[in-house]
Amino acid sequence: MPTPAALDADPTAGPVVPRSPRTSRRAPGLRATRALRGAVLLGSLVLSGCAPAPAGTDGPRAPAPAASATATPQPDAAATPATEPTPTAEAPAPAPAAVPRRDASPEAQPAAAVLPPPVRLRVPDVQLDMPVLAMGVDDDGAMALPSDTADAGWYRFGPAPGAAGTTVVAAHVDSLVHGLGAFARLRDVPAGASVTVTTADGTDHEYRVDRVERISKTEVPLDLLFDRSGPERLVLVTCGGEFDRGTGHYLDNVVVTVLPVP
Amino acid sequence: MRTRTRILSGAAVGIVAFAVVATPAAAATDGAKLSVLHGVPGLTVDVYVNNELTIDNFEPGDLAGPLDLPAGTYSVAITASDAPDASAPAIGPVDLSLSAGGNYTAVAHLNEAGQPGATLFTNDVTPTAAGEGRLTVRHVASAPAVDVLAGGSAVISGLTNPNEKVLNLPAGTVSASVAAAGTTDPVIGPADVNVAEGTSTIVYAWGSLQNSNLALAVQTIEGLHSAPGGIPAGSAGLAAEGDSGTLWLGIAGVLGLLGAATLVARRQVAPVRK
Repeated sequence: MPTPAALDADPTAGPVVPRSPRTSRRAPGLRATRALRGAVLLGSLVLSGCAPAPAGTDGPRAPAPAASATATPQPDAAATPATEPTPTAEAPAPAPAAVPRRDASPEAQPAAAVLPPPVRLRVPDVQLDMPVLAMGVDDDGAMALPSDTADAGWYRFGPAPGAAGTTVVAAHVDSLVHGLGAFARLRDVPAGASVTVTTADGTDHEYRVDRVERISKTEVPLDLLFDRSGPERLVLVTCGGEFDRGTGHYLDNVVVTVLPVP
Repeated sequence: MRTRTRILSGAAVGIVAFAVVATPAAAATDGAKLSVLHGVPGLTVDVYVNNELTIDNFEPGDLAGPLDLPAGTYSVAITASDAPDASAPAIGPVDLSLSAGGNYTAVAHLNEAGQPGATLFTNDVTPTAAGEGRLTVRHVASAPAVDVLAGGSAVISGLTNPNEKVLNLPAGTVSASVAAAGTTDPVIGPADVNVAEGTSTIVYAWGSLQNSNLALAVQTIEGLHSAPGGIPAGSAGLAAEGDSGTLWLGIAGVLGLLGAATLVARRQVAPVRK
């Protein structure tokens, strides 16, 4: 069969790629996988020729013939179809190029990549040292925050320290029960101030304050603020500006953009 | 293999059920994305797209793709894996019409009566609300109408082959099972399904009830998340900026109301005293 783009290598000579369960969606070994895939493709090009077709299986999950089960790479790219480009560059054949494939059974689903969540935030310049709790979304679709102004909240659906995109940590600036919180002092934090986020595994992630902005809540670029790709950064958010007693809300968000220490 | 192929070919000649459930998606990009799920038990196949061998030795329960394809119509033929070319397909050839920006999954599967065919599903890739994920259930099994149960009660009722039901749910793990419509005795599951935030999780029920090989297949499409609607991070006004006039306006307003109320009260009281 003329299959320059096919992923199958000669099972007798090709590299053996076990169909191992993947443990990480973000695939720390993605580069290695790509290299491996390239190697397999190269192998199939050099060795060329079709492997004998394996016999069919008798049930949906009956043991597969050894030939195709061991010689068919299962690139991690398949686990992230929305973001992973189809590898066209490696295949010399006209489209369609090599197709990633995987076992779709529930047991074979790649586990979600879970980075250790942030648990502590320190900004020594403004005497801020507070626990960080994982938070989601409230009933109104806004980011949920700990009610106590002594606790900060991390948006758990977004990136964590060490991941691409923006780690969002926010806290109430005040409350009628708990009074003024430490985040109230963030508007005075100088550029270049040191910020340390400790994650649950005990790692200290070091950052420096890049800028402090006061942005009207109607103009806060939420999509940018909750960005899940792009360069790694941390934003600390609280409220500020004028307070509207009619609604019980401040009119602005104070947004501190904090960049990792290179 | 040969015997099995002959059986399938016979069945395919009899009826090739092929339903196109495609709707044009909003054009986000020039290209379309096509995934392919193999849901016909007991048969390893080759998939040809426009007569080009695209998926070699494709096994039941496997998901391939997504392929990035320019918008257009593609001829897809599915052959036994030992076929020399696409000239004698077991399923198809069928024409798939893919729109720019569309996201599709073509599924080779059994119809309710157990004959192999293919269905093109259009995947909903519109953004999910913050904190939510999308769960789609597709019935592509040789089985009558089913209910999908979560926590013991039906969340989807009367789903038939080859149809789907889409639910937007708070992110989390759902323990789901599939039962014949109107019953609660599972024919599949219960299985834990992770409805990840910002992700479309598509669960296929495939195989054959009669042959006792019903199974689930899972496809995920990530990156559909959207940002929360805001960060309401204060409620007392203790940190209000000093240059704000709001506080004083508020105090003045309250004092003014008190004054007016006092006047009214005096006027109401006065006649009584008279």
